[in-house]
Amino acid sequence: MDHFKERSTRYYRQTPLFTKEELAEREFKCVHEEPAFCYAACPMKLDGRAFCAHIQKGDFTSARAMLERVTPFPLILASGCSGPCGEKCRLAEIGDSVDMPALERAALRLGAPKAGKGLFKIKKKKSCAVFGADLFSLILAAELDRKSYPTSFYVSESSPEEIFEKYAPFLEGDDLNTELKRLTSSDIKIYFDSALSKEFFDETKGNFDVICASAKFRDALGFGSPDDITLVCAGTSLISSSDSCRDVLGACFDARRAAVSADRLAQGLDPSNMRGEEGPIVSRLYTNLKNVLPSSRVPEDEGYTAEKAVEEASRCIQCKCEECIDSCVYLQYHKKYPKILTREIYNNVDIIMGDHMMNKAINTCSLCGQCKIVCPNGYDVAEICLKARENMVSVDKMSLAYHEFALLDMLFSNGEAFLAKPQPGFERCRYVFFPGCQAGAIAPESVEKAYKDLCSRLPGGVGLVLGCCAAIAKWAGRTALHDEATAQLKKALESLGDPVIIAGCPTCMKMLSEDIGGEIKGIWEVLNETGLPEGSAKLGRKIILHDSCSARGDVPMQDEVRALAESLGCDLVETELSRDMTSCCGYGGLVSNVNKDLARKMAENTASDTSLPYLTYCMACRDNFAKIGRESMHILELVYDSPAHDCPGISEKRKNRLELKNRLLKEIWNEDVIEMTYDFKIDFTDEAKKQMEDRMILDTDIYALIDNFRNTGSGMIESATGKINSCVRIGNVTFWAWFTESGENEYTVTTCYSHRMTIETR
Amino acid sequence: MSEVKSFYEVDPKGQFICHKCGIPLVKSDAVFGYLNNAFPVEMPVCPKCGFVYVPEDLALGKVLQVEKVLEDK
Ligand code: SF4
Ligand code: SF4
Ligand code: SF4
Ligand SMILES: [Zn+2]
Repeated sequence: MDHFKERSTRYYRQTPLFTKEELAEREFKCVHEEPAFCYAACPMKLDGRAFCAHIQKGDFTSARAMLERVTPFPLILASGCSGPCGEKCRLAEIGDSVDMPALERAALRLGAPKAGKGLFKIKKKKSCAVFGADLFSLILAAELDRKSYPTSFYVSESSPEEIFEKYAPFLEGDDLNTELKRLTSSDIKIYFDSALSKEFFDETKGNFDVICASAKFRDALGFGSPDDITLVCAGTSLISSSDSCRDVLGACFDARRAAVSADRLAQGLDPSNMRGEEGPIVSRLYTNLKNVLPSSRVPEDEGYTAEKAVEEASRCIQCKCEECIDSCVYLQYHKKYPKILTREIYNNVDIIMGDHMMNKAINTCSLCGQCKIVCPNGYDVAEICLKARENMVSVDKMSLAYHEFALLDMLFSNGEAFLAKPQPGFERCRYVFFPGCQAGAIAPESVEKAYKDLCSRLPGGVGLVLGCCAAIAKWAGRTALHDEATAQLKKALESLGDPVIIAGCPTCMKMLSEDIGGEIKGIWEVLNETGLPEGSAKLGRKIILHDSCSARGDVPMQDEVRALAESLGCDLVETELSRDMTSCCGYGGLVSNVNKDLARKMAENTASDTSLPYLTYCMACRDNFAKIGRESMHILELVYDSPAHDCPGISEKRKNRLELKNRLLKEIWNEDVIEMTYDFKIDFTDEAKKQMEDRMILDTDIYALIDNFRNTGSGMIESATGKINSCVRIGNVTFWAWFTESGENEYTVTTCYSHRMTIETR
Repeated sequence: MSEVKSFYEVDPKGQFICHKCGIPLVKSDAVFGYLNNAFPVEMPVCPKCGFVYVPEDLALGKVLQVEKVLEDK
């Protein structure tokens, strides 16, 4: 199978990432969008978090407008509400809850009334009547009026003042005047001094489509209690307040529900229809109180001044769950929380024609698994991103360009640089050392010493396999390639007698145990058992231990490494990112192949301490920390007292692997190695070297280019400078170079670049 | 292939000499191809052997840009 054949954009295939249920199951885990606890507890659905946010900014007018939307007499609500939100406020767990009713009173006094009032509103055709006054029916009449029903309000009282005095006696002064004005300036037709009798009711009710009554009048009429939800009295269409309506909040809430029933009845519908969510609910939101200090309410005294109100509102911590975003640079970079991210990735996978805007997001998650640990519900973004990669690769919708360099690097590790040998003198081995491709690339001396050490101290023969564990293909979502690589490893291990694998890298260890199985140990464990070799380093310094993402959840591995590090004289420093909380160095998931900048940010976030060195047990972490200027070392460097190369480039990493293999073949197995050589030499200028690193061009690519130039003569000369330009196509890439012939069979390369498009004459 | 107007033009102005044929490259018709899409261009081409020169700024500019767009199609 040709894994490197470029796809066609005119190939229309797609397969869903998840079933609707699978998608819903994942999305449900993210509680980011859940209402704040105060909001959930409020029957009137006042979003306390948003309300406090307005006041925090000193915007009392917006806060006031929120209240005016919630209920027609906001001062009645604010003056009389018992504040059930306070019991649910997270701050109540450690100190005082936010004093929402006091803030409501402040907003209504300090905020400006809604501007542009008095727009002509078209009245509805259906009309309503409310019989008898009490707090509920007063508010209900106003609710119906707000809904533009022509509303008649029959009361035995003689004036608005009398109504307020009897049913809202807690209102005084300006507050009372404000609410009185709301009533008198409304379109409610109030019939004062009505003789509220059964006869009057029977005579009058026929004039209206919807009829409502105060609890007292309903009782006088002999109607039973209304339904708990619709507030419609059984066997009738009369709307009245519930038996549980005992206080101001109850009256406001019942009035709102009654108005919904009025709507349904006016439309000729069953009032229990489409009521949506009413009343308090339980929020699934998660708020971390770790960094929150307890505080007390700001006393309201004679009412908050603007300053005091801002102070009280500022105690609100704006409850929200962002645990994963707080820890993950990738999520911060894409500015999306997992639920939204998942939905957009799901949609991205669904696109048959057009731009896949989320490909970059899919390909830049480091697959580190931190989110699953920090999320209160274990949201697993890595699983979603990896599945999306696999999905899109399977239908040929994922560009090779994202991961081709890394995949070819894996093929190099498992091809030219691959080695699988038993210890000389053994046909089958009890053990095999599997250092991993990054160890060979970055610290070949440590690998060599470790292998020789294991051979000398372990009984039963120790084989050696130099290669990649296939993590690269797995991370790229290239399942078929991954399976092939795994099969190759299986075969090699079989030929060595299926020995116990001694892994030198936590990712290899994880991959091999998932894909191959059998007994696998980390080299740290083996070294703890055998004791340190002669000549190991004694550090005697404070050093931060960085756990690899692949060691997440593997406490025995984390412990073994710590024990080994301590025996090496490391004074280990644990941080917030220790053990299972660890975050990625930027190597995982092939991020750096897609977004170098983001990979760097990940390294900076993970190794944020500039004052102490970092100890790692993954060679890639070691390398990435060194790249951002941290002093870092791999534990094997200490064990074998042989420092790794500092930040080898992409070509050097290949060279190191190949040289390691050839050296060991010669030294240990006495095999002659035919090394590929050219009959010419290339000097790269510093500028060219830098370009090659940035543009992912290997020096072997440029050797092939000049070789091709020498064989075919194809290229051109810039007459002004005498410089030569030539190109060569290797696989899916055309490489270009500017160079001069600096001597016989010697070239100086000054510029290198490449592109993936083909170019031909027409 | 559709007759799209050339998406890029480079005029060699006689400054480039084909290494193999020893004659100047001339502005001529060429075509970039990627993922089953074709883009006609006018590029410096050797009239004899057909060598096409793609300058660095084109490769890292417009060509890369179009590649990126197509890669996410
Ligand atoms: S941690 Fe992240 S994924 Fe989990 S609930 Fe909170 S916002 Fe959602
Ligand atoms: S802290 Fe603020 S958002 Fe959270 S429950 Fe209390 S009032 Fe609501
Ligand atoms: S797997 Fe790692 S990089 Fe990806 S979203 Fe989770 S924490 Fe972030
Ligand atoms: Zn020519």
